[in-house]
Parts: sequence; structure tokens; C-alpha cells
Amino acid sequence: MQQAIPYSNGRAWAPRRNGGGAVIGGRTAVEQVVVAARCATSGGEIRRVVEENPVVVVGRRGCCMVHVVRRLLLGQGVNPTVCEVGEDADEAALIAELPPSMAASGAAGSGGDVVGHLRRQGMVLPAVFIGGRLVGGLDRLMAVHISGELVPILKQAGALWL
Amino acid sequence: MSQGQAGASHVISSPNSMSSASAQFATSRRIGIYEPNRQISMWGDSFKADSSQNTGASTIVEADAKHDNRLGDIPLESPGPSKKYDQEANKPADKVLRRLAQNREAARKSRLRKKAYVQQLESSRLKLSQLEQELEHAKQQGVYVGGHLGDSSLGLSGTVNSGVAAFEMEYGHWVEEQNRQTGELRAALQAHVSDIELRMLVESGMSHYDNLFHIKAIAAKSDVFYLMSGMWKTPAERFFLWIGGFRPSELLKVLSPQLEPLTEQQVVAVCNLQQSSQQAEDALSQGMDKLQQTLAETLTSDPLGASGVATYMGQMANAMGKLEGLVNFVNQADHLRQQTLQQMYKILTTRQAARGLLVLGDYFQRLRALSSLWTARPHEPA
Repeated sequence: MQQAIPYSNGRAWAPRRNGGGAVIGGRTAVEQVVVAARCATSGGEIRRVVEENPVVVVGRRGCCMVHVVRRLLLGQGVNPTVCEVGEDADEAALIAELPPSMAASGAAGSGGDVVGHLRRQGMVLPAVFIGGRLVGGLDRLMAVHISGELVPILKQAGALWL
Repeated sequence: MSQGQAGASHVISSPNSMSSASAQFATSRRIGIYEPNRQISMWGDSFKADSSQNTGASTIVEADAKHDNRLGDIPLESPGPSKKYDQEANKPADKVLRRLAQNREAARKSRLRKKAYVQQLESSRLKLSQLEQELEHAKQQGVYVGGHLGDSSLGLSGTVNSGVAAFEMEYGHWVEEQNRQTGELRAALQAHVSDIELRMLVESGMSHYDNLFHIKAIAAKSDVFYLMSGMWKTPAERFFLWIGGFRPSELLKVLSPQLEPLTEQQVVAVCNLQQSSQQAEDALSQGMDKLQQTLAETLTSDPLGASGVATYMGQMANAMGKLEGLVNFVNQADHLRQQTLQQMYKILTTRQAARGLLVLGDYFQRLRALSSLWTARPHEPA
């Protein structure tokens, strides 16, 4: 299991109800977290990474949205494993190679075909996997975060604990 | 037709008329000239040289101007005048007839040309007044009117972007509708209407915000820098700009104090929402910083050009790809705004939501009013 990494944006935080991780005061100007990045060239490799890690972000190398996803998850107290695919990789094909159980949505209250939804969005990557299941793209992650469902999902996957 | 003949005979029977020859002359001139006499230069009419002949017969000219349409209908073999002419002088009869016919023809053509010209003027005038109205309208809304669109020296796109123009117009309508809805909400809350009616107003309000995000998404594809510049907003609104729009956490700060009384549960939910939106905003802001950083890195290289043209082109292509990422950022920021509004809608009761929408609408109205005041303030020119 991975340690929750402390994250601060320089603002005094009221402790969240789950109190995830110690909070250090002061702005972290430089990336203090070592990016646990893996390179993946096939759906099989992605699958392995997703199975082995509770929180995985799959994205293109050099994509700034991956950074956004990471920052959001770090803010919740988890350090996601980043799985980078080549810039010219066929993202839809990679996701399609995943087993259906992995591709089915694990988030509460959502319909079945997350992959279809991602494709319709036109932005398949970055994709977030929590607890071995595909949650969706950045859109979905934002929605889940705003509605307050993200933390329960993270806890359920064992990525966060009280 | 009879009036035409009467007009012609009027000249001839006048006791003070000239000799028969010149009477014919005057009549033939009159038929052709009374229209062009008014706007001679417009028609390029060859008769204008003879205008001096008309000074004596000016009353006749004006009186007969009314009959111009009918005279055009006179057939070539007009019996009345020609008969009288024949009686008075046989020799020039053919010439006179031909001359008369030519005059009539010329007059008719003249009238047709004038009609076409007037119609053209009318439609142009209509179009001009429509454009002026639209312009005035847009200015009143404080919407930035793109008079600069063709001017590349201002640093904006040199080509006229129809997507931008379309967005500006649609946004103008959007603001209009928002003002109307805000007024409606105010009246409804003051009149203490039922929850059912309020619910309808709230749902229109929510879908109206959806419309805004929809037109912004289309504009983002067209010109993302325009959207990010906030030039479509009024100055005071622009001061609060964050990735092409309002900052959700700021809006929540404006809203929360106005929504009391809230239940304990609601207070916690609003507080959490505030925190979540702040976190999401931070994540997006940091993503933007990263984008700036990578773009700058992509563009730096050996200025002595040792790397060659291919590398340069490669760099540019790379940088172009990065810039396209901006569209995603604007879309994600708008998505966040939408999610925040919808979450508030879930937390609040119908009545509270109505009040919330009113507070927001009123707040934006005040910001726009402030912008107008600021723009109109008396100040020393630089």
C-alpha cells in the first residue's frame, strides 16, 4: 500500500472529516513527490498496473491533464501511480483491451458503459482507475469529487484510511 | 389617359402660348423632362440641357408630374395632340411623332431606373438601421463589440472570425435573457408564489446556465484565446476571470451568506462543496501552470539555429499541440462550474435555490453596471 503524501496549497485547512494524512503548512513550490510513472505500450501492461495499484492514472506522455488529475488526487491524500502511454498510441484500443470487469464503472450511481462515454467525450485519456476499476476521465473525476463521492470510493479501494 | 391629353391640350389652348411650332416643341420637351427636372444629374438624361425652356412652363411641369405614370401608357399613336399638330403643320408631322415616341420611351426608362434606385436605397436604409440597432444593443449590454476583428495590430487574430462574432451575438442574447429571468425571480419571491411555480423558474435558470456552457464550448473550438481573454465580458467581470469564466468558489462565497437560514446538514454540505471546488480549481490552475512551463520549454532552443529547420518545424508542431490543450482546460473549467451549480441545486430547497439564482443574477447585473459606470467615468485622457 502506498503512503498518503501530505499536500498543502499554503492555506490553513480545517481537518477533513476523514483526517487523511498530516498537513504541512507552507506552499510546496517544487514537485516534492517522486512521480511513480510507468511506461505502458499495451493493454496488458496497463491491466497489470491497474491490478497491482489502488489508484492509477493512465495518460499520454507530456499531457497536462494528467497533471491536473494527479494534483486532484494528491489533494485527497493519495499518490496515484501514473501509467504513461506513447504520444501516438491508440488510446481507445488500449482501453478496449481491458477486461470488461475493469472497464465497468466502479463509481456509485453511474451507468455501465464508461468506455463508451469516454469515447463520446472525445478525450479517452487521461483515465482514472480506482481499486482496479475504471472510474472515467477527468470530467467524471471532477463530477465525483464535487458530489462528495470520491473520498468514499478511495476508502473503499483501500487507498485512504481514517 | 384622358388627363394626359388634357394636360397636353392645356398648353395648346393657353392664350399666352407661343407660336404653333414652339408649342409643339414645349410639349414634347415637357413630357420628357418633368421628372428629370427634379433630379437631373441622377438620370444622365439628355434633355437636361433644355431645362431653360421649362422656366416659363414650370407650373405646368409640377401639375403634370402627378400624371407621369399615366403618360407612360399613352400608345404611340396618341390621337389627341398629334391630330392638333397635324392640323397646324403637316410637314414636320412624322418627325414630331417619332420625337414624341422617343420621348415617351426615354421617360419610361427614366422612371424605371428611378424606381429601381429608390428600392435599393430603401433596402439599404433598412439594413443600416437594423445594424445600428444591434450595435447599440450590444453596447448597452457592455458586450465588447468586435470592431477590431480585422485589425491584427491589436495582437488578436487578423482574420475576421465568424465563430467569435456568432458567440458575441449569442452571448448578448444570453445576458438579456438572464436579466429577464432575474427580474422574474425577484417578482416571484416578493409575491410569495408557490413552490411549484418557483421550481419551474429555478429549472429554467439552471438550464439557462447550461446554455451558456454550451455556446462557450462551441466558441472554444473556434477561438480559445478569445474566450480566455474574457473580452466578451465587461471590464469588472473580467477582473474576476479564471480560465475563461467565473471562479466557482468565489460564487459560493457570494451565495452562502444570502441563503440563510440553512439546516445543519446544509451548512456542512455547502462547506464541503466550497472546499471541493477550491481543490478542483487549484488542480486546474496547476495544470495550466504546467502547460505554460512545457510550452516555454518546447519553444526554447539554440537561437543560433544549429539544430536546423526540421527541428524548428518539429518544435512548432509540438507547441501547436500544446496550445490545443487549452481548449480542454476551458472545457474542464466550464464543466467544474456546471457541476458546482448543480451540486448547490441538490443541496438547497426549491425556495433557497430560487433565492440563490436571484442573488447570482443580481450580482452579475451589478458587476456589469459597475463596468458601465467605470467606462463612462470622466477622466483625463492619457
